[in-house]
Amino acid sequence: MGRLLDSLKRGFRSFDKGMREDATSLIRKQLDEEESVFALLTMGAFSGLPSPPTGVLLRILPHMSREISVMNKRSAGLDDVFSQTLGTFDID
Amino acid sequence: MKTYFFLGKGGVGKTTASAAWSVGLARSGMKTLVASIDPAHNLGDAFAADLGDRITHVADNLDAVEVNIDDMIRAYLDELSVKMKHTYSYMSAMNIDGYFDILKDSPGIEEYATMEAIKKFVALAQYDAVVFDTPPTGMTIRVLAMPRVSLLWTEQLVKMRKRILATRGMVENVQGRLEAQVDGETVVLSSDEKEDPIMQELVAYREELKTLKDMFSSDQSYVSIVTMAEDLALLETKRIIESLGKFRIRVHAIYLNKFFAMANPPDEIKGKMEEQERVVARMKAEIPGIAVKDIPLLRNSPRGIEALFTVYSKYLV
Repeated sequence: MGRLLDSLKRGFRSFDKGMREDATSLIRKQLDEEESVFALLTMGAFSGLPSPPTGVLLRILPHMSREISVMNKRSAGLDDVFSQTLGTFDID
Repeated sequence: MKTYFFLGKGGVGKTTASAAWSVGLARSGMKTLVASIDPAHNLGDAFAADLGDRITHVADNLDAVEVNIDDMIRAYLDELSVKMKHTYSYMSAMNIDGYFDILKDSPGIEEYATMEAIKKFVALAQYDAVVFDTPPTGMTIRVLAMPRVSLLWTEQLVKMRKRILATRGMVENVQGRLEAQVDGETVVLSSDEKEDPIMQELVAYREELKTLKDMFSSDQSYVSIVTMAEDLALLETKRIIESLGKFRIRVHAIYLNKFFAMANPPDEIKGKMEEQERVVARMKAEIPGIAVKDIPLLRNSPRGIEALFTVYSKYLV
């Protein structure tokens, strides 16, 4: 009986997690985009975009590890932008 | 604290004017520091003293320093490199030193380091006045404009960061704390402004820039132009005043250095003297509200405290 309850609890927990992830998937996509734009703007010097004055960049650079990883992830997936967009809107 | 900047092209006499001005302030009882932020230093020559990176006492109430901008950039980047090696563990595997070699020559870094040097000296509470012997005009204007330009960018980045944190907060409300994998390590992504290091750094930098910007355009900051009484110099002076005006920095005085004054000039220099008179008349008419003073072409270049004080008392005040 105890085992059954545990597995039911686990089942509901994953169901709850899944629902929550599904409910926030579009906002998460928006968050990813906002983080990408921030990373692109601050690290734009590497790709020839106008970038903030060097002083601003040097101040935030030590805390930019996450932004650099966002940029790396983003550039790795650049050849697959179309399928990413379709995935966002659940089109198979 | 009062700050004094002497601007002008190379070789017009900025160093003599700033050194003489600092001697005058010190003699009036103000505890004064004169700092050369020009990469081609000759402040030590004006004082006939050995100066360097360290603040040196040169007379009563007067200290002097020649800032080595290249060393400052190197020291700053070294410090940043150590900080980054701690934060970016994966970068130590890459050639991080190579990256910093490029960064030290990146556009704007010299202006940034010069601005940092100014910031460092104006923060020294023991002085009543700091006099800056500046690099040639173009770079000094960029340095003086930097706080305002950087502030615009910083404010925009703060706004963007706020939006990111707000969106994170929305996701957090439904899903709980957000986590991300950065190079194999789990990082908690906070939506709280006080816990986001980028936001904290941007906000702190914004405050520093605001202070510097307000200082440059305050009535405690005196900018003077050192030039010569020539037609081209007149046009350049007007452009400097206009450029600084855009950043709300007011010019207080124009010094016309190496001014020819002769009772019976030979024909060879008559034309030059007529040009001088013409330029002075135009300067006074076309640049109202700014004192125009001339410093005659001296027989010997003033060197040492007494000679500099003579320049100050006879021609600068």
